[in-house]
Amino acid sequence: MKENVASATVFTLLLFLNTCLLNGQLPPGKPEIFKCRSPNKETFTCWWKPGTDGGLPTNYSLTYHREGETLMHECPDYITGGPNSCHFGKQYTSMWRTYIMMVNATNQMGSSFSDELYVDVTYIVQPDPPLELAVEVKQPEDRKPYLWIKWSPPTLIDLKTGWFTLLYEIRLKPEKAAEWEIHFAGQQTEFKILSLHPGQKYLVQVRCKPDHGYWSAWSPATFIQIPSDFTMNDTTVWISVAVLSAVICLIIVWAVALKGYSMVTCIFPPVPGPKIKGFDAHLLEKGKSEELLSALGCQDFPPTSDYEDLLVEYLEVDDSEDQHLMSVHSKEHPSQGMKPTYLDPDTDSGRGSCDSPSLLSEKCEEPQTNPSTFYDPEVIEKPENPETTHTWDPQCISMEGKIPYFHAGGSKCSTWPLPQPSQHNPRSSYHNITDVCELAVGPAGAPATLLDEAGKDALKSSQTIKSGEEGKATQQREVESFHSETDQDTPWLLPQEKTPFGSAKPLDYVEIHKVNKDGALSLLPKQRENSGQPKKPGTPENNKEYAKVSGVMDNNILVLVSDPHAKNMACFEESAKEGPPSLEQNQAEKALANFPATPSKCRLQLGGLDYLDPACFTHSFH
Amino acid sequence: MNIKGSPWKGSLLLLLVSNLLLCQSVAPLPICPGGAARCQVTLRDLFDRAVVLSHYIHNLSSEMFSEFDKRYTHGRGFITKAINSCHTSSLATPEDKEQAQQINQKDFLSLIVSILRSWNEPLYHLVTEVRGMQEAPEAILSKAVEIEEQTKRLLEGMELIVSQVHPETKENEIYPVWSGLSSLQMADEESRLSAYYNLLHCLRRDSHKIDNYLKLLKCRIIHNNNC
Repeated sequence: MKENVASATVFTLLLFLNTCLLNGQLPPGKPEIFKCRSPNKETFTCWWKPGTDGGLPTNYSLTYHREGETLMHECPDYITGGPNSCHFGKQYTSMWRTYIMMVNATNQMGSSFSDELYVDVTYIVQPDPPLELAVEVKQPEDRKPYLWIKWSPPTLIDLKTGWFTLLYEIRLKPEKAAEWEIHFAGQQTEFKILSLHPGQKYLVQVRCKPDHGYWSAWSPATFIQIPSDFTMNDTTVWISVAVLSAVICLIIVWAVALKGYSMVTCIFPPVPGPKIKGFDAHLLEKGKSEELLSALGCQDFPPTSDYEDLLVEYLEVDDSEDQHLMSVHSKEHPSQGMKPTYLDPDTDSGRGSCDSPSLLSEKCEEPQTNPSTFYDPEVIEKPENPETTHTWDPQCISMEGKIPYFHAGGSKCSTWPLPQPSQHNPRSSYHNITDVCELAVGPAGAPATLLDEAGKDALKSSQTIKSGEEGKATQQREVESFHSETDQDTPWLLPQEKTPFGSAKPLDYVEIHKVNKDGALSLLPKQRENSGQPKKPGTPENNKEYAKVSGVMDNNILVLVSDPHAKNMACFEESAKEGPPSLEQNQAEKALANFPATPSKCRLQLGGLDYLDPACFTHSFH
Repeated sequence: MNIKGSPWKGSLLLLLVSNLLLCQSVAPLPICPGGAARCQVTLRDLFDRAVVLSHYIHNLSSEMFSEFDKRYTHGRGFITKAINSCHTSSLATPEDKEQAQQINQKDFLSLIVSILRSWNEPLYHLVTEVRGMQEAPEAILSKAVEIEEQTKRLLEGMELIVSQVHPETKENEIYPVWSGLSSLQMADEESRLSAYYNLLHCLRRDSHKIDNYLKLLKCRIIHNNNC
């Protein structure tokens, strides 16, 4: 029984379905509103997509209600927008208000409703494309030719009252090109195109968009033929200008590269090296130095070719009397002789502090601790020693005048140690000079203090800078090294003449002009002028004389005598140890007295540095 | 000359110093440096500036809404709950061109100022609440901050315009009050999200309204309906 009922039910249903299917009638499928647009914010249209119609004529109706209202309305216009559309006219359109709408599809078999769509006209604005696109080639006579594009806004859009704001965009391309050239035109309705390929056919299009909304479709393309004589004068000119300037730049770069160094030296002249007047490099080169050194107890005096070492070694910051000139004996390298205990590493040229007169003046006048760092400890411990006369200032010759302390008589920068004014302060400056101008003369026995590398390098580099003075410097160094290696009690004997120590020759200051082959020093006598008239450094030729060390006094004073043919004699006093301070003080005073008169006259302006030619000074210790 | 020079110098110096001091307190890109009541800036400049600001504010609001919707509420039907949720709906604002052209200039300006004033507080709370969120969305927060700032500038500009166009207008401080703060702080996530959605939805709409109104007024006042 039950089975019969069930099967009967199924049979009936199937029959019904069969009938329906045979008829092809079904209720309509669910429609869908897929798009709503407003072209001008005053009207809008919605379109729907019908579902299956079920084989029967189907009616569609759109119903809506608005935000804040409860009343349902039906679409006022099904026609204007085309099939399956609903158009809302001005009186039905409200901005800033949500529309809730729905489409109802009905046929004989039934009906179906679409989903509700929430629409705000504010956000569905999309205008029509602009109209009347006009393109023209304009070639004014005295200006560049250009493409003139003009259009008008779409109809039904109210721009005048400001209700609607339109922004435009154009695009163009040569007919065969693949990429469009797009230009944004803002709110203007015309545009100029300046860069075009002559002889080509161009396509131009324009579109627009509201201030807040969607872009319109592109307008239909307008074609324009660019004439072949559409010249680009500007470009050619600029290209040639660019090429020319590039060529010029290359030439300049090449010239600079070739002569870079000389130009650089022209712009930045090298700092002149110290001049050592009277220093005859040739003298040092020859064998005399060896003899002298052996006499001093040094062995393997630095080979004549190794002047750099000599100079480096020779410069020694030595304050103590015992060690002045020290550094002479470096255990390892007698040849190295004395290494200057101190060299001012700061000088640009790497020379000793005396190398650059300005530096010297600064350092020599101030109590400095820097030099002391280079000091041999022993030396430092004896800062009080004014007698450290081994301040042999190789640069002295070209020293500037600001070295009152420096020369009691130090006007003549000679390679010979000079008595240092004891009361000169600061001591350290004194030391500086000693450092830089380390004299080998005098008390040997003080352990040689080796120059540190910096000093050495500085010295060496200073050498290179002193292009013109190398000869002299070398000689000077040799001489210095001579002195540095001198034992305390070893009389310094020149290979030639000896002058008995204690000869009552007036002590005079000379400046070493050069050292000749035999190791004799060529000295320039100081002009004995109380007024301290400057002596021109440039006149050494007139006063070439040879001087020799006649001996070393007890106090490590070198006594120099001039050559027989030389008339002048110079006698240098050098006291490595504490000599009679009083004497030196007196001398210092004298020197000081003389000094002030000379500096201004003695200045040599060399590259901005003040060089004072010690020759200018007349310091008389008499 | 000295006798005459010193008072001139003194007054010049005083003027210079006062100008510098005043300039310190002015917001960047001020229309009226020094904040003088009688501004020498033209009305045209004021309107150009106001339009630029309103355009910018709406762009920001639109972006902020899109980002929020995409991230939190898309496809979840929050729009249905946003109907009639704006606190400014009580204001009788024109809804089409004809209505806008019928409203008179003075009322129109007052209306705009009211809308702007009514948004001060919601924007402030929006910024505070978004900032206090865990994992505060940086994009949304930054836009909210910027909108709050620019709305204040726009309000100042509008008040200047009103003082120039209708100087006799007495200050009407009436504006719709927003009371959605409690909704923003609700514990239920759905409700809270709905509150934010409504707020951002209303902000987007009102900012568009203000922008459109100002463009209308600009063409009406400055260009005499001949933009």
